[in-house]
Amino acid sequence: MLDDAEIREWFRREVLPLEGQLTHFIRHNWRVEDDVMDLRHDVYELVIAGARQGLPLATRPYMFVIARNHLINRAKRARIVSFELVADLELVDSDFGLFDAERHLGAREALRRVQEGLAKLTPRVRQIVQLRKIEGLNIRETAERLGIGSDAVRQQTSIGMRALTDHMLGGGGGGTARVAPPDRRETGGDA
Amino acid sequence: MSRARQTNLEAADWLIARQDGPLSPGEQSRFETWMAESDGNKAAYWRLEYGWEQADRIGALGPDTVDSEEELRPARWSRWWVPMAIAASIALVVGSWQFATQRASMTIGKPVPDTSAQSFTTPVGGKRLVGLEDGSRMQLNTQSKVRTAFTAARRQVWLDQGEAFFEVAHRKDQPFIVYAGDRQITVLGTKFSVWRDGGKVVVSVLEGRVRVDEMKDNRLMRSSIIVGGDIAMAEGAATLVTARSEDKVESALSWRTGMLTFDEKPLPAIAAEFNRYNERKLVLVGPSVAAIRITGTFPSDKPDAFARLLRDAYGIAIDERETEIRVSR
Repeated sequence: MLDDAEIREWFRREVLPLEGQLTHFIRHNWRVEDDVMDLRHDVYELVIAGARQGLPLATRPYMFVIARNHLINRAKRARIVSFELVADLELVDSDFGLFDAERHLGAREALRRVQEGLAKLTPRVRQIVQLRKIEGLNIRETAERLGIGSDAVRQQTSIGMRALTDHMLGGGGGGTARVAPPDRRETGGDA
Repeated sequence: MSRARQTNLEAADWLIARQDGPLSPGEQSRFETWMAESDGNKAAYWRLEYGWEQADRIGALGPDTVDSEEELRPARWSRWWVPMAIAASIALVVGSWQFATQRASMTIGKPVPDTSAQSFTTPVGGKRLVGLEDGSRMQLNTQSKVRTAFTAARRQVWLDQGEAFFEVAHRKDQPFIVYAGDRQITVLGTKFSVWRDGGKVVVSVLEGRVRVDEMKDNRLMRSSIIVGGDIAMAEGAATLVTARSEDKVESALSWRTGMLTFDEKPLPAIAAEFNRYNERKLVLVGPSVAAIRITGTFPSDKPDAFARLLRDAYGIAIDERETEIRVSR
């Protein structure tokens, strides 16, 4: 049994950088956009539970097998399973497994992505994120600087944190109602 | 609201609360209970924590991205400059200040070795500590070659081969620049090492900040700022900065004490690392040994001891020959 610290380290190092590809995979194989975030969350949960018995030798195939099985199970339960869906899912393995080294963002790419992510935020949220990240202000100091309540700062920070995380991991914003399919760059497999 | 969205909201609340200062004992135990509730909670929390850290790059964007916040600029820069200015003025008093005004004009990116250039080398397995004339110290690792040229305008070091660790004396108007292949590392007051393996350059920063510039035909292509705890790996047009990890930098620099430190490193990489230091090479035979990962600290000059450890711990066959040690399963 591995402890949480080991699993956390592995999850950050090996799993999260694959988020763009995982989201793309789920979205590609699941018609209901509103389910994508939930499904990804389920996959993470299963991936962590499985890793407790020992870390997989190769994270990518391990995670995509879990994702595929989970989608099949969900489809069966929802009685919407079709042969195309299952057949499609059986084929996915061949698409992945390459370019392991490329999933980490280069510094330039990370910078560009941060910039894009910031640009997507509302001006107020962006300002709060900048005060936090650049000036290192805490909640109370930010509230004083902007003359608003701490609760509002907390709420806006939460929005900024979640949106930027979605953007940095290339997984598409879960907070918005509908997100365009990620382009090839965001899948990370061909960067 | 979907389950994932709800969990994500809770995770964000906890992360914000924990980053805002230590939790009270009651809150701390509620946080631990929440984390222990499900792997889904952990997944959401670790994911946000990671993503939010990735967004730390905002700090490296430079002031011109803070377009909507003009007043942020002075605040941001003053935080850097105050401690650096103090450090620089101390170094001015301490450092030996014996430079005649030499040829000071050199276009940036087109270094010309000075006539007073010095050259330092180490053999395979060698290590050498060099005190430089400005009070900086340089430690050369195995099989390395370094040239230096100091003028009143700048201190320049060429890493032609191998690896070197630098402890740089602060000099406000005399930048310390290390040239490694097509990368140019400008020191902003710091301790760091540079390892060059052909076109690949790895910069590990222990303290302070350095700027890594990519040069092409004497023109500056792009720059990255690397701070303490960061490791930058550069090859061709790519520069990869690993997430901040003081531990990783410490292990990258453990060669200075004659030790090699590995954290879950695959055996082929470990063998390559040992082989940098020894004429007697570790040779891996067959694919099954390549998958083994090792964590630990080992003396860099004892590949045979390392191989015997592998044999005892993993039941791996070793064959010790005069010029190589063959490892197979």
